[in-house]
Amino acid sequence: MAHKVQPAIISCGFCEHASKRSDVNMAELVNEAVEDCITKANIDWKDIDAVVNGNMPAFEGANMPELWMGDHMASKNKPLLRVTTGGTTGGSVTIAGYYSVASGLYDMVLCIGFEQQSCGDTTVGLASVALGEFSIFSDLGYTIERMRSNMGSGAAIGVASYQAMNYMRRSRATEEDLARVVVQNRRNAAKNWWTHLKMPTITIEDVLDTPYISFPLRFGMVCPASDGACAMLITTEEKAKQIADIPVYINGVASYSNESAIIGIDCAGAGQTDPCEQLGAMKSAEVAYGQAGISFPNKEIDYAEVYSPFPNQELMWVERIGLFEENQAPEAYRNGVTALNGELPVNCSGGVNSTNAIGASAMERPAEAALQIMGKAGNQVPKTVHTALGHGWGGSINLITHVVMSDEPQRKWR
Amino acid sequence: MPLPDYIKKQYKKTRTLHGNWYLMNYKYKFNLSRTKVFLKGLKDGVCLGLKCRSCNTVSFPPRLICGRCLVMPDQWVRLPETGTIATGSATYEADDKNRERPLPVIAVRQDGADTIWLHNMPKDIDFHSVYIGMPVKAVWAKERTGSWFDIDYYDALEDPAVELNKKEQEK
Repeated sequence: MAHKVQPAIISCGFCEHASKRSDVNMAELVNEAVEDCITKANIDWKDIDAVVNGNMPAFEGANMPELWMGDHMASKNKPLLRVTTGGTTGGSVTIAGYYSVASGLYDMVLCIGFEQQSCGDTTVGLASVALGEFSIFSDLGYTIERMRSNMGSGAAIGVASYQAMNYMRRSRATEEDLARVVVQNRRNAAKNWWTHLKMPTITIEDVLDTPYISFPLRFGMVCPASDGACAMLITTEEKAKQIADIPVYINGVASYSNESAIIGIDCAGAGQTDPCEQLGAMKSAEVAYGQAGISFPNKEIDYAEVYSPFPNQELMWVERIGLFEENQAPEAYRNGVTALNGELPVNCSGGVNSTNAIGASAMERPAEAALQIMGKAGNQVPKTVHTALGHGWGGSINLITHVVMSDEPQRKWR
Repeated sequence: MPLPDYIKKQYKKTRTLHGNWYLMNYKYKFNLSRTKVFLKGLKDGVCLGLKCRSCNTVSFPPRLICGRCLVMPDQWVRLPETGTIATGSATYEADDKNRERPLPVIAVRQDGADTIWLHNMPKDIDFHSVYIGMPVKAVWAKERTGSWFDIDYYDALEDPAVELNKKEQEK
């Protein structure tokens, strides 16, 4: 797939993330990120042609938040599109922005992902999202109390703990391996200006001392719930060369979904039995690499940002998306391959494990990866990054998005 | 032991208005007819799986559509009461406020079936001792009403493979 128009990222903006941003409301929170993005790109807001935005539906009790923040998103008199796909909202918004530019309709598109979780009740939001699963449980005569306890408090950790159990069985990873991932993420987060959980002195023992939330995941391993927003400017190749010093070209995007291993999709599905198999992620990565012309991801990709609210997922994803051989990730983390000065740095921004504003999280992954290529990241890796990957995941049966970017435009085949 | 405190910032507080959004007031409709045969089987003490005639996949509990060949499976097969654990975790019951009695949650693959489903093990089993591949057996409830919980819980069976695996690892 060769583009007629080559989309490129020229700027990424963040707002400060915290558990309770009590000083701003949702619109002002979004505006902080938008202003940061536009100021860094050194353009006027009138230059923007279209706006794509999105957040997790119903997590802050507002179902159409874009209705009252038009001015804050610089979207006056401009076409506005809202994309919400749960946990991968940010990734899908990025892909929607990419499509808008690649189609040739708009020259400059502003992508926004945001979430102010302190406003609302996440459990209520999740309950309305998991309705499809509830229907199957109700079919079998589950009561709501039994359902809640058996689904592991009904949240994403219920899914992650099963993945962790199977992953640890497959790869012989120990709880210490999981804690090591957490320590790396939280220490990286302390060096990045916008992140939430900054813990510069955390050790593996500290993490292993905390009680279990959902076996085998402990309190210290779980991601926080943050307030935050992220904005990104996508434009054409010609404009990007004029505006930015190092434009980051988006060369491959893909979005595939995986069925839940346990219940399938509406009591149908192929009947996978291993929650850490993740065929969707493998397919999604394959397609994105194919578009970008990458044959050996473990050698050609210099930097990766993966969506890992829980440490076992970080180990699982880097294997499934082809960055490491199967079951080799725990050893790579032990040897420091994924550290800041390692061979293949992963999640140097601190990752979702340190900052999780749901609607923004999956967009912060490609945004941070792009900043690493530009050389402007908060926690910049010492080596030069040419090709980077931003990955997004959400829910158990949700989409898995991949954005592959590089400092060179896509190779034109044919 | 608490974690070392993270670097916090003090933000200025602004006005907050409180509101409530009760999800329990919503009325969702579910179609129960498709699991009728299965639930009646459980009431009679029989485990029934649904077999796809095209790919021979047996789903337990029944799945309406086979995701591999996209046909509606319509052949009921009787399954034994035994199974193996495919994955697991631990949770607490809603009335257990102090979090004292962890309850093992397991996903069981019934022998002869290809899909897995969630159930519990009794509280006196330590959740650390639950492992993937552990053989289990369904224990029926005394009063059966025609729901998934006619199977009261899954009880652990003796597994000679554990000793063999230990010996294998020691080598």
